[in-house]
Amino acid sequence: MQRDEPASPFDPATRRRRAVDAIACVLIATVILAAFAGDSVRRAGEQMQPGLIADVVTAVGHPAGWIADQLPLAGAADDATAFLSPDDDLAGGEGFALSAQPAAAADAVAPVTADAFDPRDLGAEPPTRRPLRRLLVTGDSMAMPLDAELARRFGAAAGVSTQREPHIGTGISKTALLDWGKLSVRQTAKQPPDAVVMFLGANEGFPMRRRDGGPEHECCDAAWAAEYAWRVRLMMNTYRRAGAARVYWLTLPAPRDGDRAVIARAVNAAIRVAAAPYRAHVRVLSTDSVFTPGGRFRNSMAVDGRETLVRDADGIHLSLQGAAIAAGLVADALLADFSVGS
Amino acid sequence: MVFPSVEFALFFPLVLTLSWVLMPHPRLWKPFVLVASYAFYMAASWKFGVLLAIVTLGNQLAAVVLAHVSGPRAPKWIVALAVVLDLGILGAFKYYGFFAQEINGVLGDFGLALSMPLVAIAIPLGVSFYVFQAISYVVDVFRGVIERGPTIDVAIYLSFFPHVVAGPIVRAREFLPQLAKPRDPRDVVVGAAVVLIAVGLVKKVAIADTLAREVVDPVFAVPEAYAAPDVALAAYAYAVQIYCDFSGYTDIAIGVALLMGFVFPQNFRAPYRATSIRDFWRRWHITLSRFLRDFLYIPLGGNRGGRIATARNLMATMVLGGLWHGAAWTFVLWGAIHGSVLVGEHQLGNRWRPPAWLGWLVTFHIVVIAWVFFRAGDMATATTFFGRLAVDGGATLVTAPIVAIVAAVIVVQLLPQEPLARARLRVESLRPVPLGVGLATLVLLVAATVPAQGVPPFIYFQF
Repeated sequence: MQRDEPASPFDPATRRRRAVDAIACVLIATVILAAFAGDSVRRAGEQMQPGLIADVVTAVGHPAGWIADQLPLAGAADDATAFLSPDDDLAGGEGFALSAQPAAAADAVAPVTADAFDPRDLGAEPPTRRPLRRLLVTGDSMAMPLDAELARRFGAAAGVSTQREPHIGTGISKTALLDWGKLSVRQTAKQPPDAVVMFLGANEGFPMRRRDGGPEHECCDAAWAAEYAWRVRLMMNTYRRAGAARVYWLTLPAPRDGDRAVIARAVNAAIRVAAAPYRAHVRVLSTDSVFTPGGRFRNSMAVDGRETLVRDADGIHLSLQGAAIAAGLVADALLADFSVGS
Repeated sequence: MVFPSVEFALFFPLVLTLSWVLMPHPRLWKPFVLVASYAFYMAASWKFGVLLAIVTLGNQLAAVVLAHVSGPRAPKWIVALAVVLDLGILGAFKYYGFFAQEINGVLGDFGLALSMPLVAIAIPLGVSFYVFQAISYVVDVFRGVIERGPTIDVAIYLSFFPHVVAGPIVRAREFLPQLAKPRDPRDVVVGAAVVLIAVGLVKKVAIADTLAREVVDPVFAVPEAYAAPDVALAAYAYAVQIYCDFSGYTDIAIGVALLMGFVFPQNFRAPYRATSIRDFWRRWHITLSRFLRDFLYIPLGGNRGGRIATARNLMATMVLGGLWHGAAWTFVLWGAIHGSVLVGEHQLGNRWRPPAWLGWLVTFHIVVIAWVFFRAGDMATATTFFGRLAVDGGATLVTAPIVAIVAAVIVVQLLPQEPLARARLRVESLRPVPLGVGLATLVLLVAATVPAQGVPPFIYFQF
């Protein structure tokens, strides 16, 4: 083992200054950042889970954002640094406005189309299985490590090109960070996938407003769930490409935390409602009934006769073993619709 | 709370200002900095703060009792109890799940229905770091290296926000004397601190996270999907990523502490310049290697018992050092690889030394190979990863910017360090205004490289 003691982290010849210089230096940097990126502080506060820290960041973010709005510096900084950005502009929420939910009269009857029926429910022969060439696995952090597990199962050996695209920290009700309405269009534009696996919902619960106006809905009453279902339905419709692709949308297993469980329940209900018109092309895979039957959280379950941890320590995500079980659910559903292997 | 975050950008200017305002009044400064540190730490979960307080009070109680007992045995029992408390907490939170699964697996193989309950326990942030610091405190008091400190000083030492989450592992004898009297407000190395923070941000956000996003994470998640060129690039890229991630964190931590008037020890010294594994451990995570030497290797007997005993002690130290990083066989194997090479180097002694270039080449590649186990998550992934190195195929992830970043981080460590140090000194001597403007400009540039999902946590947060 080494015998040396760690050295000082700075050169002894480095210049000494006063504490007030340290404070001045940090405050100058802070003021400049507020002027150039105050809107980022405001946006960060709005996107945080509710709590004291979110309140503090929002309290600072609003005036900082206002100052940044009055100055032309933020736009200039964005333009100057755009070449460094790894993302295209996918924030904002306009994606869901492309097709705002039409207001319906209370006594109006919603139309029903043939797409609302899974042929198997009518006793019809299921369509011939098509070869699966391109698989997109996407969502938020819930989609990890499900994406890797599916990529292993449907890898190059099976002749399937699996695109893994988790967007951590994002949500359908959280469009300032990333707008799933825009992203879903982008995801299907280039190299449209034959099948889309979606596992999303760990960061939901933010207030939503209908893009064509109206009041803002707080989570998680029927109005909030309706807006959420509408957005999910828009995405499902984008992904299914009028029946050219299949969508496999996983519901959320109940989280350990009670507040999050309320959100998950509303999300799951909304997913099921959203899928109703598209049951010919969209499968809702109920991970909630597999991992948390009766809506009761559990860390572990019997797998092949052996008790196995299926949830992460955070009480939200699936463990590696849990993701393998979810991947099995998805694989079964995919293999019912597609042939795999050349 | 992580350093590169909006929360910290709001927290730190306030705390820094109030800290210097209150510094001349220790009765105000100490409670203030303790509260600030706990607020920083408990931003993740208040429960973590409770555990930190228990560790603090438990070790301080042991230190108090040590002062009141005498005789040859009683002090040893006291310190042993404190260390058992510390390691028990570490074991319960970090290793219970791993060992429960392994034991249940073995019991199941023998058809025994007995099983340990499976609980998914969230590992408290930084527990591995502050537990080691707590051990260093109580053992150094026992050894008479330091005097027992006031409880509030010990609480600040263990919770001080620049190092509570991921080190560096500062010894009590280094930190407690700095709390004994107020820091001198005319002796702050502002330039060095700002440069460290700036370099740390670039390392973490612009380099480590980019490599993780573009190469490392995709390949390690599904190595089956990639052929030799991508897999080889991922191996080198991970070596650079983990260095930039961890040393970037440490740079920021040391810089933040320096602005507050506190000096932490250096934790990295161009580790990929090493020409032997022994040399590597003088340059990589220096404060951990020092801890393992003083509190594990030497108590085990060090090199005092002959070649075989020395080899055993080296292996035990490195394997346990591997296990310290996490409860997985891949970490054990990572430690075993380093231990085996250290044993080999020790056995060779001065009988044969390779030329420097060969020593560097071999050492660097041993380190890179060992990192694959460190990163893989499980043995199957590591095996697949190495297997794919023999698979011919296209390079889908190899791009000029990525290769340039990987090469640049390694080459900079191989260059003569003196000219770099001189250039750095010139920047450090800038006045506060240009330093502040420079830091803000750099933050804006670095922030532009952050994707929509934000800055991922530092790798060492999980340890």
